[in-house]
Amino acid sequence: MATTAPTSTAAPPGPERPGGRGGGGGKGRRAGLPGTRADRWTAPGMLAPFGFFYLVFLIGPLLYLLVAGFFNTSLVKGGLGDWVGLDNYARALSTEEFWASLWHSVWFTVLTTVPLVVLALVLALLTDRFSRGRWFFRLAFFAPFVLPSSVISLMFMWIFADQIGLAQSWAKFFGSDSPPSWLGDPDWAMISIAAATVWWTIGFNFVIYLAALQEIPRDVHEAAALDGAGPWQRIRHIVVPMLGRATTLVTVLQLVASLKVFDQIYMMTGGGPDRATEPALLYVYNTGFTEGRVGYASTVSLVLFVMILLISLVWFALVRRAEKES
Amino acid sequence: MRDRPPLPGTPLGGPPPAGSRTAPTRRALLRAAGALGATAAAGGALSGCGTAIGQGFTGDSGPASLLNFWNPFTGGDGARMVEMERDYRKRHPDVDLKATTFVWGDPYYTKLTLATLGDRPPQVAITHLSKIPTLAGAGLLREIGDDELAAHGMGADRFDQRAWRKAHYDGALRAIPLDTHPFVLYVRTDIAKKAGLTGSGGELADVDGPEQFLDALRAAKEVTGAWGCSIASTKDPSTCFRLFWSLYRQLGGRLLADEGAKVVIDMEAAGEAFAYIRRLTQEKLVPTGVDSPGAITLLTSGQAGFLMDGVWQILAVQDSKVAFDMLPFPRIFRDAPYACHADSHGLVLPKAPSPDAQRADRSLEFIRSLLDASDAWAGGGHIPAWLPTQESEAYRKLEPQAHYAAASDGAAYDPGAWYSGAGSSLHNRLGDVCASVLGGRTTPTRGAARIREELRELAATPSPL
Amino acid sequence: MAASTSTSGLPTRKGLDGGSGDRRDGGLRGRLRPRAPEAAPMSGPMRAVGAERLFNRVALGVLIALALLWLVPLVWAFATSVRSADEIATDPTAWWSGSPTFEAYEDLLTGGKLPYWYVNSFITSALTTLLTVLTASLAAFALSRLRFRYRKPAFLLLLAGLMVPPQVLMIPQFLALQSTGMLNTYWAVVLPQVPNVVAVFVFKQFFDGIPEELTEAARADGASWLRTYWQIVMPLSKPAISAVTIFVFVWAWNNFLWPLLVVTDPEMMTLPVGLTSVQDAFGIPQAQLMASAVLGGVPLLTVFLLFQRRIVEGIAGTGLK
Repeated sequence: MATTAPTSTAAPPGPERPGGRGGGGGKGRRAGLPGTRADRWTAPGMLAPFGFFYLVFLIGPLLYLLVAGFFNTSLVKGGLGDWVGLDNYARALSTEEFWASLWHSVWFTVLTTVPLVVLALVLALLTDRFSRGRWFFRLAFFAPFVLPSSVISLMFMWIFADQIGLAQSWAKFFGSDSPPSWLGDPDWAMISIAAATVWWTIGFNFVIYLAALQEIPRDVHEAAALDGAGPWQRIRHIVVPMLGRATTLVTVLQLVASLKVFDQIYMMTGGGPDRATEPALLYVYNTGFTEGRVGYASTVSLVLFVMILLISLVWFALVRRAEKES
Repeated sequence: MRDRPPLPGTPLGGPPPAGSRTAPTRRALLRAAGALGATAAAGGALSGCGTAIGQGFTGDSGPASLLNFWNPFTGGDGARMVEMERDYRKRHPDVDLKATTFVWGDPYYTKLTLATLGDRPPQVAITHLSKIPTLAGAGLLREIGDDELAAHGMGADRFDQRAWRKAHYDGALRAIPLDTHPFVLYVRTDIAKKAGLTGSGGELADVDGPEQFLDALRAAKEVTGAWGCSIASTKDPSTCFRLFWSLYRQLGGRLLADEGAKVVIDMEAAGEAFAYIRRLTQEKLVPTGVDSPGAITLLTSGQAGFLMDGVWQILAVQDSKVAFDMLPFPRIFRDAPYACHADSHGLVLPKAPSPDAQRADRSLEFIRSLLDASDAWAGGGHIPAWLPTQESEAYRKLEPQAHYAAASDGAAYDPGAWYSGAGSSLHNRLGDVCASVLGGRTTPTRGAARIREELRELAATPSPL
Repeated sequence: MAASTSTSGLPTRKGLDGGSGDRRDGGLRGRLRPRAPEAAPMSGPMRAVGAERLFNRVALGVLIALALLWLVPLVWAFATSVRSADEIATDPTAWWSGSPTFEAYEDLLTGGKLPYWYVNSFITSALTTLLTVLTASLAAFALSRLRFRYRKPAFLLLLAGLMVPPQVLMIPQFLALQSTGMLNTYWAVVLPQVPNVVAVFVFKQFFDGIPEELTEAARADGASWLRTYWQIVMPLSKPAISAVTIFVFVWAWNNFLWPLLVVTDPEMMTLPVGLTSVQDAFGIPQAQLMASAVLGGVPLLTVFLLFQRRIVEGIAGTGLK
């Protein structure tokens, strides 16, 4: 419904009206901007609807985090509570649980980012060699990506189930006498969740790589083949280096996404066993909503935000440098 | 994690005419999708989702005939509750009772808290009485007055007194107790018999005392060839906590004082309790790495002669049609009066934004009907708190329920603190330590020290209440 | 940047969709045809051709094995969902059912709250999408076409929004909605998802590519800016609109954490939240759990199959910006 509203009003001027396709038509934009009084409120008016939501749900909350971090705000008492200065920060930084949750987020990020980048690259490189049947690979690898996290969690809780699950029976088949309880063993739980996540999200990176491979001109391949370079050499020395940009993009998107992990862990283990899988965002959820310590949870949120921000900034710096070089 | 914001590039990026190439098919598809969606929405509205959709936009609490009831019963007791609800519906066709079952533990209580804060609580909800201080302290529970109780024939004298006291906070009644559910011992009577553990009348021999109990497990293990006793030790910190707490309380230990602000752990007792727990697995009498369904399966498939679990598993064991009995958790230590972990379910009225949304009278009527169905509830394993049932002849003859009814006298509720109670941080943290000791990953002394650390950290956390 | 976007419309990109241009190639029709060697036979030593062939064969084997592995969870979930409880109990890991039954599906669709969740998910996702497309395109139009005093600061402020992960704001967002009494309504789910900075940039990028002459002509005819936006620019921007629509819809549909917080009434829940929050009172019927997973996955898998190309191109576009 949302989609038909704008399209159905296709007005008389019509989309097929030929525009100045070629030439430098787009460059003269600044010329035609009148600054009459009637137009004075046009721009603010057009920005207002978006701006309203932006300020209320993005900027405002961000400021609230800054403020609430200095109070012992409670979920159930309302108001800000009492001023506690830097207590929340001191408490967070000295609490093992806080560091453990950050570490779990990082550990999950490592466990997922590496295979999600490397495997996606390999899959894309292999798939790129075939033009027929590509739809099948794309379907197989990408389809899971559109599923909701709860569907993934339901499926993998069944796969990882003790005694009756597919994962344990396969492990037995491959020679393990007593396979671990995949989600119940503190050493394995995060790895199991990471495996499910790789299965779920690899399609995104795969598609980006596939597109990047399309951008590599055919004649690069041809020239290399003429020089007698084998397929492996061509991939290693020519194709992979040309994917640098895509790799940066994929890696950083992946880092940021993985650091924000919540859904599948909340549903599959709830942060257990022995709190071995509680990531930072779940820690925020638990302290803020389960325990009701809003002030403290705000502090933790802010720290997490700064971490993610730093990673994004590093990315922007990298991209900028890469652009200058090229 | 995939929770990415959508990152569409402009697909055909260039000037608009390029896009119009594929426009007709796409437009047709989009239209079809829109039409489909509209039909689905309209169809939903016709088939009764209509009011729900209206409420979705207005936030209205629904028609007066609506009674929402939440519970966390996913075990055998859930099936009993469904029967009781069905009965109520039959007798009250004017009430639209909507019962919902949620995942047990923290997720349930978080949901209940957020719903009440969000002004859309259920009219009636089940809580554990161990959670009353936290929920009532947060101002989420409506007080229940004496006159209201009297109006529905629910006087104090008709309830189990231990549970009744636990249902109060700040001198006022916040919940109506439904039952008490202790941590008990399941016994395969056929295996016990073969192991020579039964007396002439078929009753189980004395298994009380540290060595006696281990001997009994050894004898059972001889028969099963696998294990003596099973317990859920993975993905179930609460069960592990129940084991520790039962033993620790029998040693007379306490954990917290001043409503959780002070740690008063008895390190020696904690060490002793853990040492005993470790012996169970060290001597291979109890398996490690078994989850809750697995622990039950070990018992029902004859690979274990005993099972330590809550009473609510009774239906799961009954369903397997094996010969079994249930007894109070054994008295291992005699340093203090008999104790076994227990909790109670109570029915609460979460605070609604208006009397109109609260529907207190109808709610109490519903609660009374559940109490009247206490005999059905007892079938699900719980010891009824409603005395007319508990003291009835029929309950005294109910087997195996009557065999462990006495356990409620030794009921050791969770220590009182805002971070304590069913499925709480305290359960999870201490239960995890216990599971770790059980699995041999932590020594008993280290386990006691870890518990102290965990408690100190929890106690030092400023209470949000 | 501009260069890469303009090339993206060229036929080379079509290879992404299965390479219809290669179809006339005779002998290998209907089979997986390696693409790289099209250059090799022309010259290149024989050794290289052999290696090429071997490499392709290995690559194909690996790919097919992995693709099948990738289908395992989906197939197994479906297989479990059509088996009876007894069958699952006796052999939990079997792949097929002796007597398939759709009982679990029937139970879910008639007895459970699943139909509510479908409707709720559809309403909230559609509303989110509608509001996002409208507000984001309007803002993007102003940033793309109008020159006003605080244009640069506004743009920078917006850019900064790209770096704020909404998840870390869950606490204040929740409190904001609680204070307005909107929790447990559709609005609570929808409104915080509306400020989608990425959508603004997508629209702005697209609008920037629309020739200036078109809008200038409209202005010269006396049309207001609003009218120009609505009657000239938006009708020309269908590719951008549909891309944003699909992505925002899918993202809103799949959002879990936010609806989990603001919707506690079982009949107000969205599909992803309801699927794992609300339990069955009768233990854990695996067939039903898997049937609910299948039913939970079907709507978006359908969307994906319908708009496969658009979705894939949309994602691919991020890599080429």
